[in-house]
Amino acid sequence: MAGSPSRLAPSLFFSSLEKFTRKVRSSKRLKVALLLGPPVAYLMVWFVAPFVLTLMYSFDLVTPNRQFVFSPSLQYYLRVMGWEGVFKIFVRSVGYGLLTSVVCALLAYPAAYYVSFKCRRYKDALLLVFIIPFWVSFLLRTYALMGVLAEEGFLNSVLLWLGVIEKPIKILYTQNAVIIGMVYNYLLFMVLPLYGSIEKLDKSLLEAASTLGANPVSTFIKVTLPLTMPGVAAGFLLVFIPAVGEFIIPSLMGSTETYMMGNVIWDVFLYTRHWWLGSALSVLFIIFVLSMTMIYLKAVGAEELVI
Amino acid sequence: MYVPIALMVVFSFNPIRSLAKFAGFSLRWYQALMGNRIVWEAFFNSLWVAAVVTLVSIVLGLLMANAVVRFRFSGKPLVDMLIYVPVIIPEITESLSLLMMYVFINFPLGAWSVIIGHAAFSISYGVVVLRARLAGFDTSVEEAAKTLGANELQTFLKVTMPIMMPGILAASLLAFTISYDDFIKTMFTTGPGFKTLPLIIWFSASKGGVSPELNSLSTFAISISLLFAFARMKISGIKW
Repeated sequence: MAGSPSRLAPSLFFSSLEKFTRKVRSSKRLKVALLLGPPVAYLMVWFVAPFVLTLMYSFDLVTPNRQFVFSPSLQYYLRVMGWEGVFKIFVRSVGYGLLTSVVCALLAYPAAYYVSFKCRRYKDALLLVFIIPFWVSFLLRTYALMGVLAEEGFLNSVLLWLGVIEKPIKILYTQNAVIIGMVYNYLLFMVLPLYGSIEKLDKSLLEAASTLGANPVSTFIKVTLPLTMPGVAAGFLLVFIPAVGEFIIPSLMGSTETYMMGNVIWDVFLYTRHWWLGSALSVLFIIFVLSMTMIYLKAVGAEELVI
Repeated sequence: MYVPIALMVVFSFNPIRSLAKFAGFSLRWYQALMGNRIVWEAFFNSLWVAAVVTLVSIVLGLLMANAVVRFRFSGKPLVDMLIYVPVIIPEITESLSLLMMYVFINFPLGAWSVIIGHAAFSISYGVVVLRARLAGFDTSVEEAAKTLGANELQTFLKVTMPIMMPGILAASLLAFTISYDDFIKTMFTTGPGFKTLPLIIWFSASKGGVSPELNSLSTFAISISLLFAFARMKISGIKW
């Protein structure tokens, strides 16, 4: 006898392990499978499957007893789409998103232009200085802004002190606060692509324009602006897409009058707990976001997002 | 840009409850904070959750990045999608789907439901960073090691890993920060009694609005965030 079972087992284990590693070494497929297996499995279970579940709920394929039934129905989709309140909020969200993007663009462009053209030496340092507040979490930045905009807050006390106003103005918990909050939080996403676009501008083209007799204004309108449009477009969508689904800012800085899509989804899921309706709502929302993203990728040329 | 944050920091040292008048320097609110057990618990929760999430993200991210960079295989576009979609999808929809799944399979809600959820998109961020690092990696070094007699494991441990270290550290800090600061997903996937720091800040801010206690808490949270951010910057050497 070669040995007792306890001595046999380890050697059996190691020889089969060796056979296995030899197999893996020789097969590319096996290597890829081993490498991809765990992460893909993880994402399948905890990312893809939940979405499939949501889809199933949205099509009414699940009963309250958590059984799957084959009774697909569009009733929840129809209810969502016919839900006037939600439609109003959707329009409002899109409106806020657009407004935020426009304001961000208007603020970012002159700043980025100035830094790129006039501050040659301190460019990178200035950019860094600008980015630092964004290392702080979204929630914290929003909260800090609340302190400024509150009725007893900093802005009001400064304005009162300067004599510009007589009574504190109510900014917090209004629509204006929400827009200001969104612009404040998303400005970076506009500045970065815009700055990159302006930096990449071929300055010799500007020289050529002036040699041909154009004044600075028309050079800007006819040369600079069109050439930096990709940056503007990229920034626009990078702000718009997340802004539409925003939830934290309207919650903290707004009121029930400023409800956005994120708030509705939140309420339906965490308060009303109507999963079927909520799922249909989410799916519709995802479709909206994904189509906007597709448009973005088509427009910008699917470059890598350098963020 | 800095004004709101700077103000918050300054007023956290204000002994009276006002955002308008500054009545001198005081650590009164910080003292209260020190004694607040709920806050400390939440802080430690945030830390250890982020640590576990980082570990999971790096391990799974490394596997995925290696597969994607080193090999060509059919189905790669699908894998790419699997990497990028978690980043594009609005967090709120991702979170609610996961919550539904948890309830559906009777998975207990608490620390682990939060960790699993965070890792689900942290892996993507990890892959993106590691992939960039790996793509610029000169595999001839590995081949040299193998020629000199090292087997796969030794090559990986003694050659690949040290070279990858900066990338791994950068990805770790990124994953850690994302998990630590995360609010929406945590809100959806947490269970009764388990809170992280962002949740505490949220509940306090939405109920009571601005308050000095919250100011000091936030100042504290901000210094931690900035600490991590500076570490990230140092490690990757880019202005990030």
